[in-house]
Amino acid sequence: MKSYSNATLCLTVVALALAARPLSAGPAHPVKAKASAIQVEMIRSDEIKLPAEFQISLYENLVRQLEKQGGFEHVYRDGDRRAANAPDLVVLHSTVRGFKAGSERARRVTTVAGATSITIHCEFKNTEGKVLLEKDVNGKVWFFGGNLRATYDFAKKTARVAHDNFNSSAHKS
Amino acid sequence: MKRSKFLVTFAMALAFAALAICNANAQQSSKPANNAIALTGLPGVKDNAKGRLTVEGGKLHFSYAKKSSDLKAVDIEDVVTGEDTQAAVGKTVSNLSMAAPYGSGRFLALFRTKFDTLTLRYRDENGALHGVIFALPAGGAEPIKKELLAQGAHTTVVEERAAAPASANSSKEPKQ
Repeated sequence: MKSYSNATLCLTVVALALAARPLSAGPAHPVKAKASAIQVEMIRSDEIKLPAEFQISLYENLVRQLEKQGGFEHVYRDGDRRAANAPDLVVLHSTVRGFKAGSERARRVTTVAGATSITIHCEFKNTEGKVLLEKDVNGKVWFFGGNLRATYDFAKKTARVAHDNFNSSAHKS
Repeated sequence: MKRSKFLVTFAMALAFAALAICNANAQQSSKPANNAIALTGLPGVKDNAKGRLTVEGGKLHFSYAKKSSDLKAVDIEDVVTGEDTQAAVGKTVSNLSMAAPYGSGRFLALFRTKFDTLTLRYRDENGALHGVIFALPAGGAEPIKKELLAQGAHTTVVEERAAAPASANSSKEPKQ
């Protein structure tokens, strides 16, 4: 009987400790840097030969996803002259670090093979060229969909990174 | 009993696949050569819009569902062709067939048709870079590319090919 009550006491202490942990932890969200606009440079693939349609699809999806969920007032494309007058501009440079062209047929037939995967090194820089944030982002397509769907996955993840780290009003979230 | 059931299912899957492929081929052959799908990037046009792609009057013209979109050939910085494959049967049928017993539906995934891709890069009036990807029936991209080049568009593929022998020659010259 005594051992039973001891076990219950131990369990209660552990449960309370686990429940209290999130309360004692620091702020969950990082402080966001101020950036009212972003300019997306064309995806670079100097070392890895990337099919032209992948490169364009990455770029177009990235622009679209940043417009949709990036949290910027303006999203400028590569070469857009209007970006020169934008305050707090962040420039996104993306370089392909890894690319594995999968097979939609293999995905359909086996469901375990044929994944298309793409890894891109993203650098968010200010107008002076100082790196504010850099991160490798991976895009994948596993089961259904064409190979180009990996570019959509990458774009969504990158837009999420931008949203989590930059804010047009620079408030803590 | 189980064996006969399996054979019947397999035969049905085969017959279904043959029918679907015949249907897909018939549809493909009845289409005109300049049918295209704007996969992404064409301004004012939804992704995967089906329409007709032509080059006339120095412009790339995509017409779809009583609407149209034009791009000036001279604004195009790069035209690249490629090829890919797609399922020979439609998306819905293909997805439904996945539920067929003994994995027989996956058999359909083996049948695929080739298609061409036409990838363009151009700059708008602000100098902003845009990219467009079209999907065309196999063999349909190269004639469009040639017409675009004839009407003022540029391509990096030819320039790369031309630069390769030139650079090879120049690298030989100092040795002589």
